Amino acid sequence: MSEEKIIEIKNLEYIYMQHTPLEHQALSGINMEVNRGECIAIIGHTGSGKSTLIQHLNGLMQPQKGKIIVDGEDLSDSNVDLKALRRKVGLVFQNPESQIFEHLIGDEVAYGPFKLGLPLNEVRKRVKWAMEMVGLSFNEMKDRPTYALSGGQKRKVALAGVLALKPEILVLDEPTAGLDPYSKNELLEKIKKLNREEKITVIFISHNLEEVSFLAHRLYVLANGKNLVDGTPNDLFSNKEILEKYKIGTPDSVDILYKLKDAGFSINPRLFDVSCVAAQIFSILSTYQRRVTDDISV
Amino acid sequence: MEKGLSVRRIVIAGVLGAIAILLGVSRLGYIPVPTPAGNATIMHVPAIIGGIIEGPIVGLIIGLIFGVSSFLDATVPLFKDPLVSIFPRLFIGVIAFFVYFGFKRFNEYVAIGAAGFVGSMTNTILVLGMAVIRGYFTLSVALGVAIANGIPEAIVALIVTLAIVTSWKKIGGSIKKKSKISEDI
Amino acid sequence: MTSRFELTRNITIGQYIPTGSVIHQFEASLKLLSFAILVVGIAICSSYTGNLILLAFSIALFGIARIPIHYGISGIKPALPFMIILSLMQLLFYGQAAQGETTLFQFGFILITTSSVQLVIVSAMRFIEIILVSSVLTLSTSTTEMTHGLEHLLKPLKYIKFPVYEFSLIITIAIRFVPTFAMEMEKLMKAQASRGAEFGTGKWWQIVRKTKDTFPLIIPLFSSAMERAEDLILAMESRCYTPGLKRTSYRQYKIALRDFLLLIITTLFSIFIVFYKFTY
Ligand SMILES: Nc1ncnc2c1ncn2[C@@H]1O[C@H](COP(=O)(O)OP(=O)(O)OP(=O)(O)O)[C@@H](O)[C@H]1O
Ligand SMILES: [Mg+2]
Repeated sequence: MSEEKIIEIKNLEYIYMQHTPLEHQALSGINMEVNRGECIAIIGHTGSGKSTLIQHLNGLMQPQKGKIIVDGEDLSDSNVDLKALRRKVGLVFQNPESQIFEHLIGDEVAYGPFKLGLPLNEVRKRVKWAMEMVGLSFNEMKDRPTYALSGGQKRKVALAGVLALKPEILVLDEPTAGLDPYSKNELLEKIKKLNREEKITVIFISHNLEEVSFLAHRLYVLANGKNLVDGTPNDLFSNKEILEKYKIGTPDSVDILYKLKDAGFSINPRLFDVSCVAAQIFSILSTYQRRVTDDISV
Repeated sequence: MEKGLSVRRIVIAGVLGAIAILLGVSRLGYIPVPTPAGNATIMHVPAIIGGIIEGPIVGLIIGLIFGVSSFLDATVPLFKDPLVSIFPRLFIGVIAFFVYFGFKRFNEYVAIGAAGFVGSMTNTILVLGMAVIRGYFTLSVALGVAIANGIPEAIVALIVTLAIVTSWKKIGGSIKKKSKISEDI
Repeated sequence: MTSRFELTRNITIGQYIPTGSVIHQFEASLKLLSFAILVVGIAICSSYTGNLILLAFSIALFGIARIPIHYGISGIKPALPFMIILSLMQLLFYGQAAQGETTLFQFGFILITTSSVQLVIVSAMRFIEIILVSSVLTLSTSTTEMTHGLEHLLKPLKYIKFPVYEFSLIITIAIRFVPTFAMEMEKLMKAQASRGAEFGTGKWWQIVRKTKDTFPLIIPLFSSAMERAEDLILAMESRCYTPGLKRTSYRQYKIALRDFLLLIITTLFSIFIVFYKFTY
């Protein structure tokens, strides 16, 4: 991860249905910075403006007020090359499986690269890479019909369809929403690999704090169209004042640690990873047990 | 085929009717191809599809919904005349059904495609015929439009109907067994 | 332009302006019936005087309904170019079709007669009248009232086994789902644009290619519509909805004297407009 800023957002505002009776201010001053190679989570209650914000990143929406700079390019500029921008910033919508339209998986994933006008050879290479990246075997799956897939597999196909554009920045709107626990974990692993190994900058929206602490380097908390606070999952989740002040909720493992702390045990709330929590509980248990045996022996 | 309006037919007629309205009120119902009007419409395709999958009554009702919405939404005087904008639309889905039904024994794909083509031509011919009867066009103008506009539009309807119905009946795979990127080059 | 995809904004179906005027209070089924009769009257009336009266009447309706007239005018504006083109075509080509009239102008194949001039002017007026009258109807009646009105209007057809309730249920479902599908469409356009889709590429003569360009939108749109339909079918069947059963309505259906008056007056007015021999 470098210190080079790949995305900068300054005082971004957006009003839906402007100048109509149904006017609704969805963003009211967003400030954000993302470094190249970072993995950023965006959390916030429903209606806080998360989806509206990320649709600005690939030019689906143009800033009404404020500034967005992506890789040195100002998106308020009306001359911005949208095609190039959308290739650089791959955006995966919520429930992307509903956008599948081809009969065969291979054709579905190849749609984007073909639209770029790439030669067949290159398209094939990209499709293969993208499918393998999300855990779909190219040889086995490319000629299978799309309708015969499970929900989780369909989502992988949709993700591969965006990855085949070889984006530098991958933006995901609630990537795991509605998946079963197994597919969820599998998908999270793939996204982590894309970020950590393939060095793709990742920005994702999530309602699940465990998922955020598993994946993200940093997170932003949104409410009412503004970003309230940001920091590493470690800093934010272990700080009870912040969690309560911004109504973030508490990851289950952090909750357990605080309950133990309130009960008078000495714990370290920064170590809230499931395995660390287990280790802490274990050490509490062993000291407690020792104390009990000591009592008996006296 | 079972008669009358089952729950299934009621719901499918409603849902496809909604799409017909949506295609009409948004720009989506128009495909820019070379016709004198500058585009071909696919607003009548829901009626065709309704006729194919649920029979003539559903086709007729969707045609009616399409007709009424095109009447209410008309920006051309021609279509502010209910005899031109509503009445001919009743037949699109009905005719499409009979064409589909007739060809089905022969070949499913041919039947779907033919229903799309003929359903679309039904729309063109009846609307223009009505326009001549009501004095908006002379016969020669109407004939010109029927050929220059009706045929491209019928081709578009054929392609779209075939794509939608096969993807929906999940029989697309039997046309195409290999994806474009399947073979090594 | 702030969003390149704000589709929902442009859809005004079911726009309703509640001013509580007497026109709003008429019972919907008789209002619909009166509207239909009036539209037939407008479509048949071909005299100048009759259409002038109808035009004045349609404008007066806005006053009575207390709806600003610009709602009606905004419906006419986009139609102007078409009206002009249609008028020109009728003027240039319709002369021959109406032989035996006073010729006003003749040049080559162009023949303009008093009756072709009248056709042009009268069709333009008819058109404006129908736009105004139907605007008043839709602006003063909510969609729920409209479907209930339709249901009551069709009730007599029950005796010839016409499925009145089922039919209005279809209309209700259709109107209910338009905004849902519009949102769906907007999302699809954005999602496909995000992976490089462009709508309207290719040379103008490539019909097949241009048609296929729409597949990423219309195929998912239809399949999501079908998915929603399946869900709804399941929900209705599991609540034991059976078509054709007699059912009770929780709202009382009431026709007042003034609703009948509306119907009678409109009918008499339409008959007068159609059958009275105006000098012009
Ligand atoms: N197309 C639209 N037209 C009008 N208002 C909209 C539109 N899309 C969203 N909004 C409104 O803007 C606000 C922000 O919406 P947004 O979708 O960005 O929220 P979100 O944070 O993604 O919520 P969720 O967690 O539910 O996905 C909401 O109040 C929503 O009602
Ligand atoms: Mg959202």
